[in-house]
Amino acid sequence: MTAPKREDLQSLGERLDAAEKRNQVPRPSPAASTMGIAFRFTTELVSALLVGGGIGYGIDWAFDRWTHVHTRPWGMIAMFVLGAAAGILNVIRAANEINAEMAKKDGD
Amino acid sequence: MEQFAVKPIVPLHIGHYDVSFTNQSLWMCIVVGAVSLFMALAVRQRSVVPGRVQSMAEISYEFVATMIGTAAGEDGLVFFPFVFTLFMFVLFSNFLGLLPGAYTVTSQICVTFGLAAFVIAMVIVTGFIKHGIGFLKLFVPHAPWYILWLLVPIEFISFATRPISLSVRLFANMLAGHTLLKVFASFVILLGGAGGVLSLLSVAPFFLIVAITALELLVAALQAYVFAILTCIYLNEALHLHGHH
Repeated sequence: MTAPKREDLQSLGERLDAAEKRNQVPRPSPAASTMGIAFRFTTELVSALLVGGGIGYGIDWAFDRWTHVHTRPWGMIAMFVLGAAAGILNVIRAANEINAEMAKKDGD
Repeated sequence: MEQFAVKPIVPLHIGHYDVSFTNQSLWMCIVVGAVSLFMALAVRQRSVVPGRVQSMAEISYEFVATMIGTAAGEDGLVFFPFVFTLFMFVLFSNFLGLLPGAYTVTSQICVTFGLAAFVIAMVIVTGFIKHGIGFLKLFVPHAPWYILWLLVPIEFISFATRPISLSVRLFANMLAGHTLLKVFASFVILLGGAGGVLSLLSVAPFFLIVAITALELLVAALQAYVFAILTCIYLNEALHLHGHH
């Protein structure tokens, strides 16, 4: 067998592209799985609450341990609220990402 | 939940630490071996017109390359080996975990958190190498100064959330799926053993298991994809420092 010629390969490539275009099956978008989206939002929100509360707990613990100021439980409360805000921010960002992805899929 | 139990195979202790070789470690080795074998077999022929296995490998290669290109930009392609390894590892452990009697490595939070922490550590290191101290601008959104003192902590918590949401999502999906399968499987046995009409009813959960297994195949692929694409999105932020609006 002789080595394939360049032009042959090129025309093969063109024919493959054309065939691909003809037989394009709309693939299910990964983001379109509703349960996946719901799960993504839940983890974003819950983990932000956990991280916020955790940082607050750490702040209270540090103040208790190394200073005479007793902040407990205010550090935790404040950071928990900030964590809730961060969680909602995360959810909005995740929603934007998914929207952009879907718009791109619809576009082509 | 016996299927999630970690059992030592070769007990090993260094100092006070238990570093035994467990079924968990064994299955991680199996996953790595399976991925290596798959890729090695796939590229053995190196044919111009790929065979079945080779085209599977080529599809996964192109899939990850396109994903990085769109989510992290062209200069994100230097991370291709890392993202591809991560994707294949998660994908194979999810799939292999579905085999009866297999152990699902990704159903353990310590494994997924290890992966996620590594991703975030790399994002931070990349960001500081690329932008120096300017990487911290990621935490400062475009906003008037009088609300910045509130927004910066929120942005910081939002960033600190990432390793947790990344790891919990993968781990919880795997854990929930396998638990669901087990619960329905126990229904089959319970109903079958109940006798009379109830025994006939045991066909229903049996068909449900078949359906759920199909769903789990989808979830396994989807979660590997989500893990990889979020890695790309985070790398994109580290590389290009797109401020949030």
